[in-house]
Amino acid sequence: MKKLSKLLLALSFALSITSSAFAVTVASWGGAYTESQKLGYGDPTAKALGVEINWVDYSGGLSEIKAQKEAGAITWDIIDLFAFDTINGCDEGLFVKFDFDKDFPAAPDGTPASEDFFTDMPSECAVGNILYSWNYAYDTRKFSGSKAPKTIKDFFNTKKFPGKRAIYTSALTNLEIALAADGVKLGDGGTRVYRKLLEDGGIDRALAKIKKLCTDPNGGCVFWSAGAQPPELLVAGEVVMATGWNGRFFNAEVGEGAPIKQVWDGQGLDYEYFALVKGGPDEANAKKALAMMTNTEMLAGSAKYIAYAPWRKSSLDVITAGEPWYKDGKTEMMPQMPTAPANTKNYFLVDPFFWADYGTEIGEKWEAFKAGL
Amino acid sequence: MSSEAKQILTTDGIPLEVSLKKAERKNKVKAFLLVAPLLLFLVITYIFPIGEMFTRSIDDKMITNMLPKTFKEMENWDGQELPPEEVFSAFYYDYKALVEKQEHGKLGQRLNKEKNGFNSTTKRLFRNIKRKKIDESASFKEQMMKVHKNWGKVEYWQAIKRTAPPYTLAKYLKGMDMYYAADGSIAQVDEDRRIHRILWLRTLEIAFFVTLFCFAMGYPIAHLLATLPMKYSNLLMICVLLPFWTSLLVRTASWMILLQQQGVVNDFFVMIGLVADDNRPEMMYNKVGTYVAMTQILLPFMVLPLYSVMKTISPSLMRAGKSLGGTPFVAFWKVYFPLTIPGIGAGCLLVFILAIGYYITPALVGGASGTLISNQIAYHMKTTLDWSFASAMGLMLLTGVLVVYWIYNKLVGVDNIKLG
Repeated sequence: MKKLSKLLLALSFALSITSSAFAVTVASWGGAYTESQKLGYGDPTAKALGVEINWVDYSGGLSEIKAQKEAGAITWDIIDLFAFDTINGCDEGLFVKFDFDKDFPAAPDGTPASEDFFTDMPSECAVGNILYSWNYAYDTRKFSGSKAPKTIKDFFNTKKFPGKRAIYTSALTNLEIALAADGVKLGDGGTRVYRKLLEDGGIDRALAKIKKLCTDPNGGCVFWSAGAQPPELLVAGEVVMATGWNGRFFNAEVGEGAPIKQVWDGQGLDYEYFALVKGGPDEANAKKALAMMTNTEMLAGSAKYIAYAPWRKSSLDVITAGEPWYKDGKTEMMPQMPTAPANTKNYFLVDPFFWADYGTEIGEKWEAFKAGL
Repeated sequence: MSSEAKQILTTDGIPLEVSLKKAERKNKVKAFLLVAPLLLFLVITYIFPIGEMFTRSIDDKMITNMLPKTFKEMENWDGQELPPEEVFSAFYYDYKALVEKQEHGKLGQRLNKEKNGFNSTTKRLFRNIKRKKIDESASFKEQMMKVHKNWGKVEYWQAIKRTAPPYTLAKYLKGMDMYYAADGSIAQVDEDRRIHRILWLRTLEIAFFVTLFCFAMGYPIAHLLATLPMKYSNLLMICVLLPFWTSLLVRTASWMILLQQQGVVNDFFVMIGLVADDNRPEMMYNKVGTYVAMTQILLPFMVLPLYSVMKTISPSLMRAGKSLGGTPFVAFWKVYFPLTIPGIGAGCLLVFILAIGYYITPALVGGASGTLISNQIAYHMKTTLDWSFASAMGLMLLTGVLVVYWIYNKLVGVDNIKLG
């Protein structure tokens, strides 16, 4: 039974391979994001190494790569994924473990790679790619000037800022901002807020805060699930404030001139990583390509196309030296970066270990809470 | 006369009966070979994966093989209070063996599915083993409790004990918000975490009402299609099929634009003075939105089978009914309607089965009520990698569909389905 299933899966995957021989295949999220990766560092790396780099779209999660491995027909070499997926995938033995300073080049000034990145990697199988933010934006037609929201508490303040809010459809980052708005200090990089969540009643306290917002006649909640929704909901006037990903807000605000403005107080910094698939079709070349794509110059390249911060500190110097860095040739990118000093006065780092550990149970509580709305 | 004397022989001396059978067998083999590709296809793409899903949903051998010593020691533990030192020590050595084989991560993952928090609890132990901080001559119980406070909580040890049997129905219980308690009885999970039953009911409710709305709207459309002159009915047919050919996401997004509070429909209502500007009805991001979007998306699946059946009903039958003295309604109800039942059956089953597995549309337009059981299956497939739980829920969903099919068979008869 097992063997036959492997054979079948292998067959189906073999059929799905079209032209991936002698090329490195990178699975990423598609859309403007993949575009920024391809233009920013994918194509330059491919040119420099003389290896073809193919980008395929996927929608996150480890199910595809796990299925490929079980079938014994792996078609991806590199995957762009969330922190907790790198942890789970590393535990499951799907990815190559790195010897960090040996596998990745140092910064131009000689700083070893492991010290050039903002924080430690969540697992031995991960190498940083970008930092993005879960922040919120508001409708500037509704609130402006001195009456505009400025803090994370304002997001929950329906008296001063009446109107509906759009929040993410699952609990991720919602609990953190709820506690922050309820008066919990985020602490150094948000470690405090996770400690508070783990205390008895911590999660219930956060849920109660969100419930209050959602059931408030002056408030109310719309749940978004696709990244394009928050700016869309704001522009349509459906909500007055929305949490979302800063790159999307940036695109709407700067790229399309939408009447929205971002608030960085209480933002959740989150990371995106690359992992190298163990036993991928072209592991040797993939490793070379990965090392090059994550070097200082290359990582800075993607920020030309999207407002996500490169993982290396040294890449920021490249951007600063090259301002205005955005592809339109007039927008300065540094103030748009989630890691800019002005934006990180009060923030938390989204804790992948917390969510890898408690995600399922919290998810159940969250759904039960939504069902009771 | 004896039977031998009666036997008829063919020209080459073989009895006719034998000769006929031979020829028949040849035909049978030919017929079988003709359907063999289809049969093989069905086995490969359908029967086999379902079997695989079933074994996956009950198979729990992996962990049984990972913790042999622990489970042996646990046989002597009643599961009420913290286990004795022997269990701690057995677990420690089992875990150490896994660390040497680099398989400890898998164990942490598996246990975390049983009880959240296990991942970091085992990882902490791993780090301590790696740094050789555990003194193997002292009490493991005390040391492990010092490593992580969860080792001192009885729930965590109960969770390990639950995973002992190599085959288990625990995933099916979990799908109904239940679990095996420490003493082996079946218990309910905490009230604030009982979501699966809510989701099952919500899924059924939405599938049922979408089917009903599709029927209510599809029946007149199909009737019109079948009875209008060709030149109008062709145009109408295109109207039915055009959305059918449009991407699902595009249609969903269009409904969002139309129905949201600041959307086109609401703007129109305000313009004609039907509702006040500050009191616009909510038609999106709730169940209304789900019903509207899903009904529109699934409508062709109702219209097409109905149409194909209605097309074959001769219009003279209704006329005959009326000329025999029936009112139009009686003629419709007694003559026309029963003839369309095969189409109704096919359409309703199609729509219901499709609706029960829908999740992208409800997730986008359903707001707080947008999570259905298929979202949960996708979550466990993609995020937690708990494929056995996903398989179990998938099979429960399949069983639900089969039950509906069975009820339909009892009420109407499956032979009566007509798809075209």
